[in-house]
Amino acid sequence: MILLASSSQDNLSRWEQGIRGLAPIFCSTNLDSLRGELVRIKPVILLLDLDLPKLDGPNGILGLMKLNPETRVIILSGALSDEIEWSLFRTGVRGCCKSDIESEQLQNVVQAVQQGELWIRRTLSWHLLNELVMITQEKNKIKQAVGELLANLTRREYEIATLVGNGESNKQIARRLDITERTVKAHLTEVFRKLDVADRLKLALIVKGSMPLHGSTRLGH
Amino acid sequence: METVTVAIADMDAGRRTKLEQSLQGGEGITVLTDIMAPGDNAPTDGEFQDYESGSMEEIVAKIAQLKPRILFMNLDQSIIGDFALLDALHRVCPETLVVLLTDRTAQDEQIIQALAYGARGCLSHEADPCYFLKAVHVIDRGEIWVTRKMLSKIMDKVLH
Repeated sequence: MILLASSSQDNLSRWEQGIRGLAPIFCSTNLDSLRGELVRIKPVILLLDLDLPKLDGPNGILGLMKLNPETRVIILSGALSDEIEWSLFRTGVRGCCKSDIESEQLQNVVQAVQQGELWIRRTLSWHLLNELVMITQEKNKIKQAVGELLANLTRREYEIATLVGNGESNKQIARRLDITERTVKAHLTEVFRKLDVADRLKLALIVKGSMPLHGSTRLGH
Repeated sequence: METVTVAIADMDAGRRTKLEQSLQGGEGITVLTDIMAPGDNAPTDGEFQDYESGSMEEIVAKIAQLKPRILFMNLDQSIIGDFALLDALHRVCPETLVVLLTDRTAQDEQIIQALAYGARGCLSHEADPCYFLKAVHVIDRGEIWVTRKMLSKIMDKVLH
């Protein structure tokens, strides 16, 4: 099912004409109705007019997406700056296009998004790739910093830290390594001290490389 | 129109020649044809498969010297050593934009990782020659060349 949301009847009829035959179509002309329909009919696609009254931009869109995370949202609007359009994509929308888009082209957009594609302008896809590069660089820095700090651990401490990272309890670790629970605790105390962490959850996140040690200040090591 | 310099770092001589020929016919494109020539500090066929860091540095040095705007490179080459070559090219020759050449065995995850290490696009070896020409100009003007489906996967990576 496809849900169309706009306060403009002209928009609704034009969009409906463009996507007729792709799936059953439902329409909402205000935010309350839209919220209700999202929950009731669980549409695969939502064509959403960014000018829908009370929508409240990206925040409002995020709220709508929470009502039915499976729905793929396509935003239709007037001309947008790269910055605004990118902020919409950051909320998780799968496509953006002009609200006066040609019917035939709208059908292409909906079909592409239905097939799991992203309908994004080429100039914005550059932002997307840059963000991927930055995230990867940051992750690598964290990985490197964590690796260097973990290298300060003794072999036994490293072994125990890794097992904590795998979610094992002190008891399980003691049994696995054939040592007492008290010894495990002693090693862990030393691990916490060396890595300057307070609890095993943080240790587990660090071992898994998903958390920096005290933010970026330690990344320069 | 300013010409775009293109180099091809495909170790398969047959494929490299074919791609060179396709690109040489393109308007505003200059192909640097001998960048992988043996005896010119670049690894020869077969040597690339397991290049040591020394030869990787030579490749980077060669690219830094030639400064092609676009460098076509096999995905297989790019993933060696945890994407070390791509990473080095991205750092040392930021003005050179790498386009990955893929075959049917290419996995999306590998492509995404290569893009994360600085590649600006990917194309199948078997793509129609006109797409290589288009990709060169699109990437030259600062955009990227990947499928919409791939963009969707990249977006998922960025958001989660």
